[in-house]
Amino acid sequence: MTRSFILSAGIGDPALADPAMAAQFVTAAEAAGVDLLMLGRHDSLPFDPQVIAAWAAPRVSRLGLVPLVSSRIAHPFHVARALSAVDYLSGGLLGWCPVAQGGSAAQLADLVRATRALWDGWDDDCLIIDKASGRYLDTTKVRPSNYVGTHYAVRGPVNAMRPKQGHPVLVCDAASPFAVPGLDVVIAAEGQAFPAAARRLLRVDAGADLAAMAARFEAGEIDGLHIDLTNPAAELARIGKALAPLTQGRPSAGTLRERLGLPLSLRNIHEEIA
Amino acid sequence: MPRPIHLWAFLQGIGHYPSGWRHPGAEPEGVFTMDYYARVGRLVEKGRFDAIVFGDQLQSRGVRGRTPEHLAMPTLDPMALLTAIASVTQHVGLVNTLSTTYWSPEGLAERFATMDRMSGGRAGWNIVTTAHPDTAPNFGDEELPEKSQRYKMAAQTVAQAQAIWRERNAALGPSPQARPVFVQAGQSGDGRDFAASIAEAIFCSAPTIEEGIAFRNDMRARVAAAGRDPDAVRIMPGLSFILAETEAAAIAKDQAILDLADEALCIEYLSESLNCDLTGFDPAGPIPVDHILSQTCFPKADIGRALEKPAAIGLPLGKFASGYVRTPRGHNVFRGTASQLANMMIQWVEAGACDGFTLQPAYMPGELEIFVEEVVPILQAAGALRTEYPGSTLRETMGLPRWPADMAA
Ligand SMILES: Cc1cc2nc3c(=O)[nH]c(=O)nc-3n(C[C@H](O)[C@H](O)[C@H](O)COP(=O)(O)O)c2cc1C
Repeated sequence: MTRSFILSAGIGDPALADPAMAAQFVTAAEAAGVDLLMLGRHDSLPFDPQVIAAWAAPRVSRLGLVPLVSSRIAHPFHVARALSAVDYLSGGLLGWCPVAQGGSAAQLADLVRATRALWDGWDDDCLIIDKASGRYLDTTKVRPSNYVGTHYAVRGPVNAMRPKQGHPVLVCDAASPFAVPGLDVVIAAEGQAFPAAARRLLRVDAGADLAAMAARFEAGEIDGLHIDLTNPAAELARIGKALAPLTQGRPSAGTLRERLGLPLSLRNIHEEIA
Repeated sequence: MPRPIHLWAFLQGIGHYPSGWRHPGAEPEGVFTMDYYARVGRLVEKGRFDAIVFGDQLQSRGVRGRTPEHLAMPTLDPMALLTAIASVTQHVGLVNTLSTTYWSPEGLAERFATMDRMSGGRAGWNIVTTAHPDTAPNFGDEELPEKSQRYKMAAQTVAQAQAIWRERNAALGPSPQARPVFVQAGQSGDGRDFAASIAEAIFCSAPTIEEGIAFRNDMRARVAAAGRDPDAVRIMPGLSFILAETEAAAIAKDQAILDLADEALCIEYLSESLNCDLTGFDPAGPIPVDHILSQTCFPKADIGRALEKPAAIGLPLGKFASGYVRTPRGHNVFRGTASQLANMMIQWVEAGACDGFTLQPAYMPGELEIFVEEVVPILQAAGALRTEYPGSTLRETMGLPRWPADMAA
């Protein structure tokens, strides 16, 4: 199987909460072949990224939406519900990037574990929805999570469906690291340690020599690039052009997990891998 | 000219009736797809509604970890659904239910500020304090705070959120409405006083026109006593409806939907309402009163009183459960023709029983489509419902001043 280049871009500018600007950015990101649009930056969250992800959901056809989720204000019960909904509304194109914003890495890891435990309270195939028999779901496929961690205790079952992808794609920014098994994507700058993850993206700024960076993908050192945008519309057009040889011809159908070749069977991932 | 009628669509899951999802006009799979919400958003906008409201609860469904098999669950997070609808509509307001007991002021302030921006000023907040004791364990707590304590916390949380919005608006430029429209549905003394102090729209249940008038008069007096203008508050009682060509056909249609509530559904529904799993009991056997009282987390005295009579006459469990599903829970249920419904609505508003209605379609989207196609044109022809939206923000749509007084710096 040929390796597929992964392109990630991030916006932390308050302009992302202006719908006219956000519409431009989403369109430009999709046109540039971006796989992961990070909504917010670990050090800049002047809006609620989960709300922006919900707003963008009906506007994307292949672009993955990755809201930053801050453990400063998030609670796993609310996170599990909101992300489940956006994963359905976007047709399975959701990721999430938990960040501590000054809180502890231990709390951040606990937020991730608790949220996954709530999602795992529901099996993928629990729905029946048969009008004739009157059976809506199979109750043996839903159970309380009874999660008790270092910072959160949540009983469940969460009153929301398991996300369309099972778990949305889990992204870790090495600038706000947390230790959980089963990381899907990690973003780290030159010289920063890469936590263990299925895919490794190198953080570069928009002015970097992208062709040279791309050579490191060919050499197998990295799986793609992450670019923090400062002037999104203009930079996206340029990045799209510069990286076209790597981004064109990649699969465009399916969920984000399917497209990025990430694990699809995720039941109790935290227990199996731990 | 009749007084203008405000319409709100109160949606949660696949409709107001527990058996509504089995109706041929219901689309239960739709609740997991964007297409469904886009259609519903456009439909409500076509009907010139003020807003869509999603109800929401934070307790786990079912009882003690057993999720019902016959009730249309799960539903999805309303903030996400409403914001996605905002993305594909222009005018309709989007009212999100959110708990002051289980959200931090910072978290909810950020959520609504972003929603108000992304929707171009169409965000509203149905402020609830969360009444279900089973919510607490989902947030690491043993017990729900008692009601007067919850309303005290609610007032504090709202005040803190207001301070955050003022700060954010000053730093980033104001969001289009400065803050979401405040909506509340308190019924108790504490609840009504809280609503009177802040709400711009109030939900209630009013099964009869007399009860509507009494509630509206009471609330207007409380609003005035709180030093606010009663004309700046919209009173919006719940209204479920079953429409057909004739009244007899509507009654038959209602019966047919209720008949879709089979015994298994009714027992699960009763189990949730009593907070006691009754699915293992023989439907032909007696109501297990002692078991229910030993299990439930609701006030035992109230439940004991409700069960006393049916138990005394020896009503079997299954029959009791079926009867329970068929008794409307406080909300007005209209059964009749489109013109009868339009006349009733105009009459209620003229009599001062309300300023509009919080419509709760029995099943979705079929029954709401019938309302928009058939009742809306009659209300418009009578001059009781707008034919165009007056502006772009929810406050403009509700006929209220755009900037709330409390948001001045
Ligand atoms: C039309 C209507 C809709 C309501 N929706 C919700 C809801 O979605 N979530 C919730 O927790 N409570 C909801 N409530 C409950 C109210 O917030 C309130 O708790 C209830 O009316 C009882 O009043 P009290 O709190 O003063 O006792 C609703 C009430 C009404 C009348």
